[in-house]
Amino acid sequence: MTAVTGDVPLQGSGLLGQPLDSREDPQLLRGEATYVADIDLPGTAHMAILGSPVAHAKILSIETKAAEQLPGVLKVATAAEFTGVMPLPCIWIPGGVESHFPPHPYGLPGARPVLTGDTVRHVGDPIAVVVAETPRQAAAALAAIAVEYEPLPVVTRADEALAEGAPQLHEAVPGNLNAYWTCGDKDRTDAAIAEAEVTVELDLVNQRTINSPIEPRGAVGDYNAATDEYTLYASTQGPHNHRFLLSALVLGIPFNKLRVIAPTVGGSFGTKGYLYPDMALVLLLSKALGRPVKWVDTRTGLMNSTVQGRDHRQHVVLAGTRDGRITGLRATSYANLGAYPSTIGPGVATALMGRSISGMYDIQASFCEVYAAFTNTVSLGAQRGSGRAEAAFLMERLVDRYASEIGMDPAAVRRKNLVPKEKFPYDNGLGWTYDSGDYQLNFDKAMELSGYADMPARKAEARSRGKRLGVGIATYVAICGVGPSTRMSKEGMLGGTWESANIRVHPTGEVTVTVGSASTGQSHHTVFAQVAADELEIDPALVQVYEGDTLKAPYGQGTYGSRSYSMAAPAIALTARKVKAKLVKAGAVFLGVPEEKVVYAGGKVYEDGNEENAKTFSEMAMAMWYGWGLPHEIEPAIDETTHFDPPDFNYPFGTHVAVVEVDELTGETEVVAYTAVDDAGNIGNPKIVLGQIEGSITHGLGQALMEAAVYDEQGLLVSSDLTTYALPRAADVPFFTLDKTTTPSPHNPLGAKGAGEIATVPPAAAVVNAVVDALSDLGVQHIDMPLTPEKVWRRLRGEAE
Amino acid sequence: MNGRPEQFSAQPNELLVERLRDGLGLTGTKVGCDTGQCGTCVVQLDGRSVKSCLLLTASAAGSRVTTIEGVTERGGELTGLQEALRQEHGTQCGFCTPGMVMALGELVENTADREAPTEPEIREWLTGNLCRCTGYHSVVRGVQRACSAARAELPEEIGEGAAVSASAGSAASASASASGKEV
Ligand code: FES
Ligand code: FES
Repeated sequence: MTAVTGDVPLQGSGLLGQPLDSREDPQLLRGEATYVADIDLPGTAHMAILGSPVAHAKILSIETKAAEQLPGVLKVATAAEFTGVMPLPCIWIPGGVESHFPPHPYGLPGARPVLTGDTVRHVGDPIAVVVAETPRQAAAALAAIAVEYEPLPVVTRADEALAEGAPQLHEAVPGNLNAYWTCGDKDRTDAAIAEAEVTVELDLVNQRTINSPIEPRGAVGDYNAATDEYTLYASTQGPHNHRFLLSALVLGIPFNKLRVIAPTVGGSFGTKGYLYPDMALVLLLSKALGRPVKWVDTRTGLMNSTVQGRDHRQHVVLAGTRDGRITGLRATSYANLGAYPSTIGPGVATALMGRSISGMYDIQASFCEVYAAFTNTVSLGAQRGSGRAEAAFLMERLVDRYASEIGMDPAAVRRKNLVPKEKFPYDNGLGWTYDSGDYQLNFDKAMELSGYADMPARKAEARSRGKRLGVGIATYVAICGVGPSTRMSKEGMLGGTWESANIRVHPTGEVTVTVGSASTGQSHHTVFAQVAADELEIDPALVQVYEGDTLKAPYGQGTYGSRSYSMAAPAIALTARKVKAKLVKAGAVFLGVPEEKVVYAGGKVYEDGNEENAKTFSEMAMAMWYGWGLPHEIEPAIDETTHFDPPDFNYPFGTHVAVVEVDELTGETEVVAYTAVDDAGNIGNPKIVLGQIEGSITHGLGQALMEAAVYDEQGLLVSSDLTTYALPRAADVPFFTLDKTTTPSPHNPLGAKGAGEIATVPPAAAVVNAVVDALSDLGVQHIDMPLTPEKVWRRLRGEAE
Repeated sequence: MNGRPEQFSAQPNELLVERLRDGLGLTGTKVGCDTGQCGTCVVQLDGRSVKSCLLLTASAAGSRVTTIEGVTERGGELTGLQEALRQEHGTQCGFCTPGMVMALGELVENTADREAPTEPEIREWLTGNLCRCTGYHSVVRGVQRACSAARAELPEEIGEGAAVSASAGSAASASASASGKEV
């Protein structure tokens, strides 16, 4: 393991920071990429899953005979078939437990089995599977399976699930409480609130949302009886992690007999890093039938089975002085975990949210408590910006509420409380230590760029057109770069969270980089080649990148939490340094000078002071391949690996400003301007990051304005397709005004911080703040998301929430 | 089909997208939803973009069907639109991309002899295609770029008049990418 700090200066060629075109794009634009649904192995049979139509019931009987006799049907299976298979593990068990191996089945009451046999706990809970010759035959056979249910009472809200007399989901979890988790200093916070000049309080609902990658999930299982090896093709963002979870913990097969391949993945935003029953089922059924088994989800299926996000009900309190100094912050949150603990869902709802609540502010007394509860809904998991977005929302709503209470400008209150530059590294008192930052610089830049000072004039102008203009600010700190293994073990994470990279230099001078990370649309092939080429000072066209296949790439936990560029890319850079070190050593032999006199620069080794005596990168590659004349202590060939485990996380941050116009007549909210100044440390490829920032902001606006997973009283997901669940469309967003500040992280050799999802963190808060600002003269202090026209229209007419 | 005649018999309830993907192996056309909302399955039927998940195969009989495979050859040179989208990085995971290219092809091709589409027009045109990755900004810039490139290639007298409105579009594009470059 290598723990490196950024004081090792980067010796690159200047390629990093350049907006190279994505080398993935041409293939995508021609429709040539292979996604999981496009995989067509010879002899493939097709699987369909029967999900429960009711949210909570005892299964009295399942009759499969009729289905078995339908044309093309090869197999119908229920839970009885898989009694030897272990339930799906949850590997983030909050509460600060030290990790233990095997983690399974300890600490996992309520874990989800691959098929549910006795009690169903949410609509879509998988009960049976059919395998048939064609997808249509498999789907048709589902209708012929007869299941008898005895309905049980339903609960879909976390706070209600914890109440006396609530329906009980799991025998092993009386009271439905998965975890009670806290961070911060309770006594100090209570005292700060009791002694405060001013306190403000809010009750917030951070509604449940559905991540909605445009590609639904899918999996193909291929068991090879001759070698007793399993191959899983899955739409996953963490093939190595899935291999570990599936082989060792669920199927009980040797780790080295399972190969997991992530083909091109059509977006994930967190949800495809989770282990789902279908991944185990296609492998088990492929073995049973002796054929590859393929399953591709539908949109409605995705919405009823893939982890959902957010879903907190919170009571939050902020204490401060009359002149705008925040002195205390307390949050009580009821987090809705859904029916089963998902792979890392409980950690998302607790640590990822709770330790971030104070954001960019220097607050001496903060405390957060989370009650994580089971309910009859789809399991909770990550979602672009997860945890951090929920934290920023509560904090930034509170700051606005506080500013209005003391009659101060919201920007001035924020500025007064930012963590000052001299205080880094900054212990936020909630468990995180921020690595680096210049929050004032970032904040001021956003204020200037957004034209914040001109807003009063713009408000007046809008009013003359029958529109109410509102402006909302939101700042954030997003913990990224999961993660330092020891630190993650204290967080209760069971699994290796480091990342690795291998570089092989071929005799012809070309380079192959393999990494454990797996792209879900982040142009890894482009950026990782850029990193290697920068460090080796060679043409990026010489570098080929492989990832997403556990057989070809070294271990890495995968792509989530905006970690690839601050975890996998440093592993590549450090490996390239090992390559250079070896070339210097061998160069001494080939140049005939002592090692101290050998320089590596500009893609060649040469004698210091005598650049004539040189060998190019490709000449060295060939020489190392032959290995002629190498002393015994230098191995031939160039093949180096690094396992990168950073000393701590990294902490990107930023300031966003939303300007909205609310239509007096219709209640419609239009985002008319949006300014974002983010700080993701040193950026490798600004073109790629720009795209991620723009997509992320749009995603955040979606939560503010239109997205909501709505369950009815029976626990039916009412918004279960794209006609009932609204996603932002092109006409819903304007071009954004974007800029950056750059504060390198000291925790990796690239000075990188997470970037991919960070801009999803503040938009919801910025937009709600803006709409509340637009309606403030009506006495409106808060509106719950999503800010649908109807909801806003009612508030315009003085109706209470 | 992509310029070649195809003959087969289809079940009455068979959807065009099923025929394309499962029957003809044209997997460039994607399925992202089951309600005709996402636009990943867009192909062109006699030059008009349609959602192939909402169309019965039988109803396409006798029509010219173009899929993404018919736009460029495998590994072949990109069209002006594709090239512009590449330059603006209008694709991330790429799952929405073939549908976008098919839907936008119609818009861009028709701009040669009329005013270049405005930003709101492009956004309106894209309403049938969902993209979760890009937030559409780079796609819209890509279309603006493609339209100005297409118009630059027009004969002098049309091209010049057009240059005025085209430059309005590209100014927006330039400022967006200029601020973008900062990031
Ligand atoms: S597949 Fe979504 S519109 Fe056709
Ligand atoms: S690029 Fe991923 S959905 Fe559009």
